[in-house]
Amino acid sequence: MGRVARALIAHELLERARDRWVLVVSLLFGLLAVGTSLYARSAGASADALTGPSLVTLVSLLVPLVGGVLGHDAIVGERERNTLGLLLSLPVARGEVVLAKFVGRAIALAIAIGIGLGAAALVGGGAQTAVLAGLFLPTLGLGAAFLSLGILISTLTSRQVTAASLTVAVWFLFVFFYDLGLLGLLVATDGAIAQDVIAQLVYANPAGLFRVQMMARLAGPEVLEGLGMTVGLPPTWVSAAIWSAWIAVPVGLSALMLTYSRRLR
Amino acid sequence: MKRIELDSVSVRFGDVQALDDVTTHLQSGEVLMLVGPNGAGKSTLLKVLLGLLDADTCTLRVDGQPVRVDKKFKSRLGYLPESVAFAESLTGRQVLGFFARARGVAKAQVDVVLARVGLAHAAKRAIRGYSRGMRQRLGLGIAILGDPDLLVLDEPTGGLDQEGLGVLWEVLGEVQQQGRMAILSSHDLTLLERRVDRICLLAGGKVRADASPVAMREMAALPVRVSFNFAGAMRDDISPFTAALDRAGLSTDVLPFTGGLTVCVRPSDLLRLLDVRGQFNGAVERVRVEEPGLDAVYEHLLENGSPAAAATSGRQASPPEVN
Repeated sequence: MGRVARALIAHELLERARDRWVLVVSLLFGLLAVGTSLYARSAGASADALTGPSLVTLVSLLVPLVGGVLGHDAIVGERERNTLGLLLSLPVARGEVVLAKFVGRAIALAIAIGIGLGAAALVGGGAQTAVLAGLFLPTLGLGAAFLSLGILISTLTSRQVTAASLTVAVWFLFVFFYDLGLLGLLVATDGAIAQDVIAQLVYANPAGLFRVQMMARLAGPEVLEGLGMTVGLPPTWVSAAIWSAWIAVPVGLSALMLTYSRRLR
Repeated sequence: MKRIELDSVSVRFGDVQALDDVTTHLQSGEVLMLVGPNGAGKSTLLKVLLGLLDADTCTLRVDGQPVRVDKKFKSRLGYLPESVAFAESLTGRQVLGFFARARGVAKAQVDVVLARVGLAHAAKRAIRGYSRGMRQRLGLGIAILGDPDLLVLDEPTGGLDQEGLGVLWEVLGEVQQQGRMAILSSHDLTLLERRVDRICLLAGGKVRADASPVAMREMAALPVRVSFNFAGAMRDDISPFTAALDRAGLSTDVLPFTGGLTVCVRPSDLLRLLDVRGQFNGAVERVRVEEPGLDAVYEHLLENGSPAAAATSGRQASPPEVN
């Protein structure tokens, strides 16, 4: 990355810190994680059995929204402030600008998640620390995937309000409607669709893949059977490919679109 | 950079020909102003120069050599967009600091530039507390960071108060003195007339005129209003003077007023008018000459075109710039 891109990463981070985004999201994560952790302690349950799965459920709902919202104004915000042209008049490739915005915001997300989970580990202590530490990277991956989608939406739209609306719609789609849709598909076809096809469709959704992977890791593979999923998790390389694709493809498309867009304002 | 040439720039958006074979240039130490009605193609031309818009046809030359708007070219320019806004939560110093880092300008220059644009007192204030004029000054500060060879200013006077305008005049003056270049688009003809070296008048995507403000006036040849205040007997009877105007063939546009008269003459008739005045040396108490404002010149050239318009818009003919 060149000088401009490095400066932009630092600038993005500073902006997230200055507008208190990092603080608010850290507090939100902290409260959820600490709350879950305290509840687990008071219930006398093991960290693996209660804290982890409870947090996974909350994270799989919350983090996609946080990631999407974090990315939704990356490009369209500059467009509305009339600074996109100013930014692109600097000696930097357009693709680098998108990438720098992604990296800067992903670092802000990592800090917020780290502070939130770290606070919970401090409160929970003991076995919970390992569970919470194990959640860090997958949670960041999930957030990064939706951050990437948010940046794509931001590149496609010309108004920030449109980008925000689309981001929320995408969140609803992936977090709520997707599973409902699969359920509807099963009912409509009277169970004619093979289990592995349904499983693959679940794994194709980053929120679904995160939920299943984390549940299996924290509560054991048998939990999947309890959920009616007898197919098992995809191989590690497939999971890695799915995660990489969800993180890299939208932001890559954004970079390509910005690079090849003829007219900027 | 000593000379930048934009040759045969054409841009089409669907059915709209935004720029049609536009050719212009910038010389070292020159400030060029693009004027024209909304949609004339001013901002489009600036965006082509900045690499923000791909033209259908365009040859950009620097010192005679064809170049692309690449990182090297962009590292030598500073840009002020129209109605620029910045992230509200950041301070002026933080915004300027980012652009300084991005351009490789020393950190110490940030405070120097803030002081230069009159924002030293607001350096630590969040942008949300800035007025429109202060934001514009900050934008100007970003543009001048590192003293780039070429300044590209889109509507730079917008929102600027008298003090802010003073900063802008200083910046343009330095560009001229230091042999750098500036290209700006503006509607403030009267305000900028004395600060620019050349004016490129665009309309409908074509160059209508490209000349110095003085040459523009000459092209338009609009009437000059000359008012005479008389002393003594002629205050009550101006007929000897009007008779002399008659004899000189200058009586077509005479407007009498109490104690004098106003004559509207074409610039080429001014010498004959001075001859007439010479005949009444003792009787003329005061003479006031009013040149038409550049706004009127602009309107005239827009409506009628300049005699050289055909030559300025195409590359077949030699450019008629007058410097």
